[in-house]
Amino acid sequence: MARLVPASDARGELFSAYLDGQLTPEELKVVSQLLDGDIGAIQEFRSLQRTRAALRLLPEFEIPANLLPDGHLGDRLSAYLDGELVTMEHRRVTRHVVDCSDCRIALQELDRARIAVRSLPGVDTTMTGETPAIAAVPPRSHRKRFVAGGIGAAAAAALLVGLVVGGGDEPAFSLDDLSTRHVARASAEPGFAVLPAGMEIALP
Amino acid sequence: MTDDFTPTWEDVAQRYGRKIYNFAYRLTGNPDDAADLVQEVLLRVRKGLDSYQPGSFEGWLWRITRNAFLDGIRRKQRRPESALPEGDHHSLGSSPSPDEVLASVRLSDDVQSSLLKLPYDYREAVVLCDVVGLTYDEIAEATDVPVGTVRSRIHRGRKQLRELLTWPV
Repeated sequence: MARLVPASDARGELFSAYLDGQLTPEELKVVSQLLDGDIGAIQEFRSLQRTRAALRLLPEFEIPANLLPDGHLGDRLSAYLDGELVTMEHRRVTRHVVDCSDCRIALQELDRARIAVRSLPGVDTTMTGETPAIAAVPPRSHRKRFVAGGIGAAAAAALLVGLVVGGGDEPAFSLDDLSTRHVARASAEPGFAVLPAGMEIALP
Repeated sequence: MTDDFTPTWEDVAQRYGRKIYNFAYRLTGNPDDAADLVQEVLLRVRKGLDSYQPGSFEGWLWRITRNAFLDGIRRKQRRPESALPEGDHHSLGSSPSPDEVLASVRLSDDVQSSLLKLPYDYREAVVLCDVVGLTYDEIAEATDVPVGTVRSRIHRGRKQLRELLTWPV
């Protein structure tokens, strides 16, 4: 059977593309024929193979650290706890928190601070008749959605962090503690959502 | 990265910064130029993400990278300066013997200096394929040429490289 023998450059091109896994089934057959006992073709193939390997084995440089952002979440952590991130952003933050222990700790601290602030008693202005210098806590009906979404987000975040952190030396994010707070809030406020709509918990 | 996902520029920096840096380093042989390119690309990505339409993100990113690189070359051609490769000294590990280290440096220096002698189109195709790890389709999209041209450039680039290398291949 007559062999299809491409011109030298075309033959090398086939070998090169073969090494990269970029051939069609028909071209694969041609390469197979070319390499079947043709010493010159085999030598050319081996030579291309070594050249390609030399390129691929070039050491990879680390990018200078000053060119990269620190990659942490900053202000987005608070928005995450408050359930104020849109879905895509929320997914990104969740993914980052799963991978980044610094941000998990920061999230945990923020959640504690946030809970502490929200646990402060509301200012009762009816007793003195004076207007307080600091704005009073908004009426309950206005707070409800805010608190529900926020605490729900916190619950999800805590669940996530609790699952991710697990043991280790880092202070554990107590799921029981969070659940207790959450149940207390839910029983006090009918309609309080366990998780806000669209909230997803991504597990590693 | 999936086609319907639009990352933030921080994501891009973290995920692709190293690849962009190595792409530029292998094309120029110069760490300062590589660092400049990374900064320029991230700047363009930050501006461009607002108008980015979810699609082939890698194709979009490497087009930006390539354009930024070519713009940098054009700027340098207006004020030429010598840029010789400085070797791969900062990538050496601690365990190999001194002889192995020297051989490794000589080898990668040889490959690097040979790369720099290739015509730009061939060098770019070879670096995108063998250093960055893009497929022929992705290279075609990034460089705006047909896949057949990419295939031909990669082969010719490797062939010329083989002839330029001083060690036997």
